[in-house]
Amino acid sequence: MTEQQLESRQRIDTINPNDTPFAIRMRRLRTVSRNALDELLKSRTATIGAIMMIMLLVTCILTPVLATHPPTKPNYRVRLQPASADHYFGTDKFGRDIYSRVLWGGQRIVLISIAAVVLGLALGIPLGVFAGFFGGRFDSISMRCVDGLIAFPGLLLYLLIITVAREWKLEGFWNDSILVFALGLNTMPEIARLTRGTSMVEAKKEYVEAAHVVGEGSLHIALREILPNIVSPLIVNATVRLGYIILIIAALSFLGLGTPPPTPDWGSDLNVAREHMESNPMIAVYPGLAICYSVLAFNLFGDGLRDILDPRIQER
Amino acid sequence: MLIYTINRILQIIPVIFILSVLVFGFVHALPGDVIDTLTATDGEEDPEVRAALEKEFGLDKPIYVQYFIWVGSALQGDFGKSLVTRRPVNIELIERIPATVYLALVGIGLSILIAVPLGTLAAVRRNTLTDYSAQITSLAGISIPEFWFAILCILLFALQLGWLPSSGYAPLFSEPGKSIWYLILPALAVGFRQAAFTTRLTRSSMLDEISKDYVDTARSLGLSERKVIYKYTLRNAMIPTITISGLQLASLLGGTVVLETIFSWPGIGLAIYDAIQLRDFPVIQAGVLVLGVMVVVINLLVDLLYRVLNPRVGMS
Repeated sequence: MTEQQLESRQRIDTINPNDTPFAIRMRRLRTVSRNALDELLKSRTATIGAIMMIMLLVTCILTPVLATHPPTKPNYRVRLQPASADHYFGTDKFGRDIYSRVLWGGQRIVLISIAAVVLGLALGIPLGVFAGFFGGRFDSISMRCVDGLIAFPGLLLYLLIITVAREWKLEGFWNDSILVFALGLNTMPEIARLTRGTSMVEAKKEYVEAAHVVGEGSLHIALREILPNIVSPLIVNATVRLGYIILIIAALSFLGLGTPPPTPDWGSDLNVAREHMESNPMIAVYPGLAICYSVLAFNLFGDGLRDILDPRIQER
Repeated sequence: MLIYTINRILQIIPVIFILSVLVFGFVHALPGDVIDTLTATDGEEDPEVRAALEKEFGLDKPIYVQYFIWVGSALQGDFGKSLVTRRPVNIELIERIPATVYLALVGIGLSILIAVPLGTLAAVRRNTLTDYSAQITSLAGISIPEFWFAILCILLFALQLGWLPSSGYAPLFSEPGKSIWYLILPALAVGFRQAAFTTRLTRSSMLDEISKDYVDTARSLGLSERKVIYKYTLRNAMIPTITISGLQLASLLGGTVVLETIFSWPGIGLAIYDAIQLRDFPVIQAGVLVLGVMVVVINLLVDLLYRVLNPRVGMS
């Protein structure tokens, strides 16, 4: 046992007998997060990714404070201006501040992708755990459906769903909900497959048997005993998936199939910028860089996390 | 192998069934129906005319009968007529298939040409500057949205330098020179992102192979390092690379809409995009179905090829 492992073991073991259950729980939480941080710092990729991710999320939360201009209000006196002290990234063809639009667009796209991944997890994890833990007919039927969904080319599914949404003239919140639904549905099968695989391995381990002997119910074992042990590959998958979903949303709104125009959106802003590419090439650069930054943040974090969690790779 | 092949072919039946139900359901999920579109009276027409039209289009039959009639005619290649051009949809689409396949194949080929040497080099010179720069480039490559990369390529090579055309297409067989001229930018945009994936994959599968026992044996027999790497390990490492490239070919076909739109490349993706803009629903329906079936069939072929190349993989 290395010194660090010993130290972290001690952090858990030194429990004062006079502590309240709440204090013990808090201490345990603190120890776990401290250990997680130690592990995280071992991988340079994961550290950089985590910092980039935190910066992205903080920017999204602070958007109302950081943005300097209202994102949708046109101002024809300042059309297509280069970067200046008043407009950090310049202005677009309606005289809207690009810096503020990139910020608001980011908040929106990150929120939608997080919602989509959460939906995918919420659908996929229970399905996977039950399929892996109970097996039998439920397993084979549900996994056939999952196979069918995995084989379905994702972008085509979105095109169908979004065309229907447009024909029904869904706008604003409802349009976004449809997008989240389509993306979440497409995330679900991979999560379900992954959860099933890992929980099948876990279900054969001794601690599950011990829980059976103690007389815990199946539902309790599946959710309280197995689930916490299979969380790490899921976190990796969900992180990488976030980056992928940002790419998909940007591509869709680039095609004009996302939210309709005045709403700030990285993809549709890029599409508008194409018209002025020759005179103002920088307009086409900022939203693209923003997409790259966010996707890179999630990819780096996911990559690094995978290296940390997969000891086989670590040995190399 | 035969049993596996048959099993695998049987497995795609439910996938294609789900695909066809979704595509069939898509048109029925739209508000209004064919008759509203044809008469353009928003449902205020003469009920007798409506009944006659309903009978003509078979809309008076129950929905599952309509589904089977639709599947029957789709199997014979009859997807109805385009609402815009009034030409049969199958003719519209068949003209488009070569362009899509051409771009996808050249793009994948290009990516393999870039990625395999790069990935091998990175693995052989692990933890050197070469390795790090290959890793960083490929990580950046998978984080850059392909449509943005395409826009930047157009901006640089077509608008600023004026070397290459920004969009257009010429068939390969009638005008080979011009065709390749138009192909360069789109193929670069397809190949760049795919190359990033393939480089990462080649690197990690080379690392897997290099750490195996037979490599030590070969080295201890006194074979030159060059021979060990290029004759033995690279061959084995190519198996997953080829497989994934095949799967990427499938996903490229599914995601071809974006790049074809940017470069006005007259493939199926552009046909679907135009149809969405013009609300030409029979073309959307047939286009998604055709692309979807192509994706599923390529996935099947790649999977079978993988088993042939790598007999050690279990047949379960």
